[in-house]
Amino acid sequence: MPWLLAAELRKLIRPLVWGTGLAIIGFCLLITWGGANNARGALASPRIPDVCARAVTAQCRQVIAHAHAAARTAAAATSLLAQPGEIGHVAAGMLASVPGLLLIALVAGGHWGGEWGSRTIRQLLARQGRRTRVLAAKWLTIWAAGVAALVCCWLVLAVAAPLIAAAADLPAAHAPMWAGLGSSASAAGRAAIVLGLFAAVGTAAGAIARGQLATTAITVGSMLLALLVAGIASIGRLSPASFVQAWMNFDAPGYLPTNFWSRFVSDSQQPGELAGLLGIVLTGAIAAAIARWRFSADVTV
Amino acid sequence: MDVISCEGLTKRFGPAIAVNGLDLAVSSGQVYGFLGPNGAGKTTTIRMLLGLIAPSAGQIRLLGRRLPDPRAVAQAGSMIEEPAFYPWMTGRVNLEVLGATGGGCGPGEAARVLHLAGLADVAARKVKTYSQGMRQRLGIAAAMLGRPPLLIIDEPTNGLDPAGIREIRGLLRGLAAEGTTVFLSSHLLAEVEQVCDRVAVIVGGRLVEEGAPAMLGAIRRRVRVEVRAADSGAAARLLARWIRVPARHANGQFLVEHDRGRDVNGVLMAGGVVAESVTVERPGLEDRFLEITGKEDARAVAAGS
Repeated sequence: MPWLLAAELRKLIRPLVWGTGLAIIGFCLLITWGGANNARGALASPRIPDVCARAVTAQCRQVIAHAHAAARTAAAATSLLAQPGEIGHVAAGMLASVPGLLLIALVAGGHWGGEWGSRTIRQLLARQGRRTRVLAAKWLTIWAAGVAALVCCWLVLAVAAPLIAAAADLPAAHAPMWAGLGSSASAAGRAAIVLGLFAAVGTAAGAIARGQLATTAITVGSMLLALLVAGIASIGRLSPASFVQAWMNFDAPGYLPTNFWSRFVSDSQQPGELAGLLGIVLTGAIAAAIARWRFSADVTV
Repeated sequence: MDVISCEGLTKRFGPAIAVNGLDLAVSSGQVYGFLGPNGAGKTTTIRMLLGLIAPSAGQIRLLGRRLPDPRAVAQAGSMIEEPAFYPWMTGRVNLEVLGATGGGCGPGEAARVLHLAGLADVAARKVKTYSQGMRQRLGIAAAMLGRPPLLIIDEPTNGLDPAGIREIRGLLRGLAAEGTTVFLSSHLLAEVEQVCDRVAVIVGGRLVEEGAPAMLGAIRRRVRVEVRAADSGAAARLLARWIRVPARHANGQFLVEHDRGRDVNGVLMAGGVVAESVTVERPGLEDRFLEITGKEDARAVAAGS
């Protein structure tokens, strides 16, 4: 198994994986830059109701003061979130939500579905006939690619986010640079489990689709379908997307969003945190069983 | 000891039978040829030998282990149809990855097989820049990784130039001389004749003939007889017991399935026909192959009608 894992990890050293990882990091940088600029914009001109724009009544003065205070609070929160310790929340949240799903889907497509498309699966299985091991190695390496992207994303944001916040003239975060490191690490750990779920879905998709594009499409499609189902009041709690939301406990998006998930799942439908974890584990186990069943079929490519 | 042993091997794809009750026995150290026309079931058989597809019936023993034991397949080197590699990797890295997939090879193993396959000079180039012939050589190199006791190779000389074909032929013979058993399928019958110790012919999923190539060619030597056109009818009647291919006695020419010219001539003489010429022929494998596959096709057509 260690040899097989080493071989599979070596296969990840390819333009597709680098390119996808860089795209995710670039996306996180853009989100951070956009969030910082939004916070600066709100600070410069807080959102004031039209009715108060001209009428200077005591009530309006209070509303305007509230709007300024809210903008300052939000800007300070954004500035704090842009600190190297706290920014891990953004990296973890992004990788445990739609951007991370896209990364896993693309990696699963190239790394696993591509074995069928390029017909290298024949060589692979002729050398390693233990198909469960092959599946496990594929799942582990797809997951490892996601975790590596999470770590790289956090490292890059840790360097760039404070600079972006400073460039946006956000108020200084009156907190140590590494404040929030513990909670960020916890979020990253939780994100790693969600990435494991995405990788399991990607592995099952590869075994079902047996092709690069179809693997990517099934991985993304199945989880987006779960997100849609999560929005249905009667059954939303049973959707894997709700399990992810409950487990990650994603906040509602602020100026600097920490995820691309919570906006699709309403708070009222969230199961508990432990139920979320159990749901993730159960969904992953179902995906693994489907992958094992489908992968035992004849290889005719 | 039989390195490969198949008993009653059958594979069905829905209603279609790709391989039908195939029995094979390949002894250690042999170069064993596996011949058949397109769609005969060669590749399906090889896929079953390598555990890629499961037989519908029958059993396979590979290197003493009964499939689907994955340890048996892992011990065999293989190349199936057109070899496929990871195009973004160099030839050397591809081999190292394949070696690791099977449990790891010793240091320098990739370099050794690259040298044997004549690819040492291009080992550092990415596979996407390789020609078809180079990929074919890389496929053979991959099959030789780890000095497997059994090589299962599908069309090993596809895409190679004549010099390359000769080189690979020599390489396979050399491997056999060192004790490696080679099981190869090929359409290049002349090559099979030169390289293989034994040959099996499969048509319509069934084994129709098996033996040493020389025997396969000589097992039924034929006698070519030429008589005057006026004697054709009488000669056809006299030789009817041996003539199995009616189309071959046109214009006073007969091809008689018998190995002794004296007997044929004696029958003609006894019947009052004087032959213009009587020649004993030893057909090449190609002729036999076409003949066997033609008969089987005709049988299949007859069965269908």
